[in-house]
Amino acid sequence: MHRFILIIILIIIKNEIKMSEEKVIVANKGLVRADFAFWVGQYLDKFYDGLENKKIMGNKCPKCGDVFVPPRKICGKCNIVIPLEENWVDLPETGTLMNFTTTAYRVNDRTSRKAKDWTIGMIQIDGSNTSIIYRLLKMELEDVKIGMKVQIEWSEKTKGDPSDIKGFIKV
Amino acid sequence: MQKVGIVGYYQVKLYSDANYGRYEMIFEASRGALDKAGLKKKDISTVISCTNDYYDGRTISNCFTVEVGGGYMADESKVEMDGAHAVLYGLMRVLSGNHNLAVVWGGSMASCYPYHAARLYETDPTWERPLAYVNDITSAGFQMRAYMEKYGVTAEEIAKVVVKNKKNAAKNPLALEEAQLANLSVKDVLNSGIYADPVTELMVAPPCDSVAALLLAPEKQALKITDKPVWIKGVGYNQDAYYLGDRDLSGCKSMNLAAKMAYSAAGIKDPSSEIDVAELFEAYAHEELIFAEELGFADKGKGAEINSAINGDLPINPSGGALGGNPPCGTGLIRVIEAVKQLTGEAGEYQVKGAKKAVASGQIGMCAQNNILYVLEGN
Repeated sequence: MHRFILIIILIIIKNEIKMSEEKVIVANKGLVRADFAFWVGQYLDKFYDGLENKKIMGNKCPKCGDVFVPPRKICGKCNIVIPLEENWVDLPETGTLMNFTTTAYRVNDRTSRKAKDWTIGMIQIDGSNTSIIYRLLKMELEDVKIGMKVQIEWSEKTKGDPSDIKGFIKV
Repeated sequence: MQKVGIVGYYQVKLYSDANYGRYEMIFEASRGALDKAGLKKKDISTVISCTNDYYDGRTISNCFTVEVGGGYMADESKVEMDGAHAVLYGLMRVLSGNHNLAVVWGGSMASCYPYHAARLYETDPTWERPLAYVNDITSAGFQMRAYMEKYGVTAEEIAKVVVKNKKNAAKNPLALEEAQLANLSVKDVLNSGIYADPVTELMVAPPCDSVAALLLAPEKQALKITDKPVWIKGVGYNQDAYYLGDRDLSGCKSMNLAAKMAYSAAGIKDPSSEIDVAELFEAYAHEELIFAEELGFADKGKGAEINSAINGDLPINPSGGALGGNPPCGTGLIRVIEAVKQLTGEAGEYQVKGAKKAVASGQIGMCAQNNILYVLEGN
């Protein structure tokens, strides 16, 4: 199966001109859709198959021994290919909280759509050497501590994409 | 390295919402630099610009800026990073021996596009982008927390950087008006609202509108153009890993390695005593401290102990730095220009007395993934 992640970009063809006393603004209204489809590649495809079944799979660089989640074809440090058929590692759904931040901002708008605070954490899955970034759920901010053990909260219905991991909760 | 001189510059004032067409701003900067140096269009042999297609809302955006940037029927090319990286490209073009005058310009108008949404396009579309938890807002929080946790640095110490830089910006007529805050207190900074905890609103370099331009010439030509050239004595650049989860965000290894490269070229052995002034692109207040440490101005975790005021032991960002306004793609270039002003004695109210050697830095990417550092010296 070739798995794609679709990113939709609106391309602009219609201009709307707004005038105020000081400034004339040409605002763009999108009418033409350009759908970008990124093939996730064989490594992430396998990883997303795992997520769909609520399993975390990483892969290990044969040279430096670093374990990557999600898996990678190339170890950047060693500049070598990690073979597709080898070096897979089954990992648990537990990990350590390495870092976190709380914000009310969503990336699409920082000026007018101030939403509810959410806390985003960097979590190192046990047995791996890199952190993944997800929401921290069902915990009070006072309880959030770097170094605490956390575990995956899966989405009720998995689809084989990044949203299968709903977030992380306290162990 | 052969001597290459900075022989002119121009910066458009920073505005949060400029009533300029994009072209006017680019022309004002590039033509302004030529006029200031007493040069003409025919003197230009190469033009390097720095913009970003996402920020410009069009692809290969330099095709539209050829005329206003001075590139009409000239050797012309673009860098899609920070303006300070465009200086590197311009420097290389001059060092090739084929050029007598390079115009380097960079900047954009953040008031024209959703800055944070555009920056989301830096993230991996096959993994992080669909959920958007990793972005320039959350990454700022991760970086500051990592630095504070590792070294026990307090939010108050980081807020002091803001107080200093906004006060400096009040002396800089080209800084963003909203950032010219001479009477700001640490408490004001800490109470300015959470941006991404522990980063508060006033700790963020405010995205704004501006374009700046710089002129580079080989030694012989530089001395014909001006009696006050500033020489590029060294440059270093380095890039860290892409995924935030692979990096140690408590420091900035790529800045450390960039500094080593630049210092080695410039023969700098003891940066804290040899460098008279630093202009650093701090996208957030904590980055100024992290960078100062990586540049060898203080031990790790001790950046806040440097007396970095304009009349201090090692003035950092006397112009107000990026906290005085951050026009995307222009900010690092403006740091180079500000360092030049210090070395030519043109910094007005924020002049560091007797500055002979300066460093200026630029950066691009989340948590300053890629850094570039220049060592500059007056004539």
